[in-house]
Amino acid sequence: MPMTNILSSFRGKKAGRAFILPAVIILLLLTIFPFLFSLFLSFGKVSFLGGLQIHFAGLKNWLRLFNDERFYNALSNTVLIAVIAVAMEYVLGLGLVLLLNRGVKGSTFFRVLFFLPMMLTPIAVGYMWRMMFNPTRGPINHVLPLLGLPAVGWLTEPKIVLYSIILTDIWQWTPFMILILFAGLQSIPPALLEAAKVDGASGWRLFREIIFPLLIPASIAAILLRTIEVLKIVDKIYILTGGGPGIYSESMTLFGYSLGLRAFDLAYGATIAFSLFATILVISIIFLLMTRRSQEISLE
Amino acid sequence: MKAVRNERFMKVTTYLLLIAWAVFVLFPLYWMLTTSFKSKLDVFLGPKYIPWVDFRPIVQWWIRIFTVEREEVIRPLINSIVVASISSLLAVLLGTMAAYGLTRFKFKFGPLRNHDILVWIVSQRMMPPIVIALALFLMFKVVNLLDTRLGMTLIYTAFNLPIAVWMMRNFLSQIPISIEEAAMVDGASRSQIFFRVVLPLTLPSLAATFLLCFIFAWNEFLFALILTFDKASTMPILIASQHFQRGPQWWDISVMSTVAIAPVVIIALSLQRYFVKGLIPISK
Repeated sequence: MPMTNILSSFRGKKAGRAFILPAVIILLLLTIFPFLFSLFLSFGKVSFLGGLQIHFAGLKNWLRLFNDERFYNALSNTVLIAVIAVAMEYVLGLGLVLLLNRGVKGSTFFRVLFFLPMMLTPIAVGYMWRMMFNPTRGPINHVLPLLGLPAVGWLTEPKIVLYSIILTDIWQWTPFMILILFAGLQSIPPALLEAAKVDGASGWRLFREIIFPLLIPASIAAILLRTIEVLKIVDKIYILTGGGPGIYSESMTLFGYSLGLRAFDLAYGATIAFSLFATILVISIIFLLMTRRSQEISLE
Repeated sequence: MKAVRNERFMKVTTYLLLIAWAVFVLFPLYWMLTTSFKSKLDVFLGPKYIPWVDFRPIVQWWIRIFTVEREEVIRPLINSIVVASISSLLAVLLGTMAAYGLTRFKFKFGPLRNHDILVWIVSQRMMPPIVIALALFLMFKVVNLLDTRLGMTLIYTAFNLPIAVWMMRNFLSQIPISIEEAAMVDGASRSQIFFRVVLPLTLPSLAATFLLCFIFAWNEFLFALILTFDKASTMPILIASQHFQRGPQWWDISVMSTVAIAPVVIIALSLQRYFVKGLIPISK
């Protein structure tokens, strides 16, 4: 389209389209097209002999995936991390928001500080915690024996490594729960709480019967968004363990990266990546269906 | 009497819990910062906790990064600054245009209305980056965009567009339309209104959105890992590669990580209020 046309299209009835079109085109080219291309790749075979060639391979990649033990390992690691991390982050986030809301002095200071970790470069966060978890020179294993507890192989014990990753995720992402729940709490009309207090509701009853039900929409949004994000986890694991020991802490994204680029089987990597997309989609839909009733209740 | 004592007890407990979480948040940051001032010996004989008490802080590693390691660090640093700035600028410009369109016009593409278009744009964030990164690797290879700043700028623009549209829509829907109507009566065209009336009015929101996009692009790892290998590598890639190249030189890693998170910490601490406002529309 020549420049004059673009400019004139800002004026007429079609003006609206000219405003959203650039964004839509960028997304179509750089997100939707690669997405479809990736789906296509999962049914193909890529070879670089004599230039780039993609052959149709039918269901070969998908059959390989469903018979690949490493896939089930990565899938269960990823889902386990997501379930435990999100649950802990929600409970901690809710608790901290309620504490912040008690009108203590310096609550703004605490809030600003509490938000901070989620903004930090995940690679740096990974190194930070790798130093914390260091078996001999890390502060955690230095303090534990002083308390009469045994030192722990945080990043080397197959049974513990996932929990170390979860702890790191809790450190970085509990702020997200605080952010959303705090906004939810702010939108509760103070008059409502006052009225409930006049009626004699206090403490636990006030929370259970007024505050918590009103926080349900914010809770659902926070849990869903956080679950979607944590299922994609890769950068912190890449630094903390590289997926090890062995593949005990390999996540889906790391698995897809290793097979797609390190082993250079792009078609199989795309298959793994797509199965992660499907997993996220299915979990989101199940979660939304499960919470539909409480969403309706909270709307009434 | 009992009620008063109870209240005081609650207050003390509240403070103790808040302080406990603050310590949990701050300690790893403190650990990284102090490690960047420790000698090799203090790191290997560690853990050492308090400067001037159980170790003597040195600035050697901080000097090294600006001298001996300058060559190695400077290019990723410039790449990160350039790619994150330009892509965020583009994302904010295109995102604000889209947000303006979605809040000021009624669309109908087949069954899709404004809300559906917004959901479509924002839901792109759901997509796991690995899905498109592997396909982009092939696409970029074909069009020679692998390991280029242009390629990284393009992909970060797309990566940040959903968040930019979302934030700017929340900000723009709070501006009264009457101002624009007045300008329209004066004979201004839509593009004039957008560039001369709306953009100046939303300057603080634009800045907040830009900086949030900047942080996301600055922190991003997976696309950079897959789509760059040398010339266009960013800071996260440089830091991530340290361990594999030279073993765990924790002092160097700590200096570089501190350099990487410093701008983010400054932006986050000073502008948080605006981020919260833009991300979560509070209806009252």
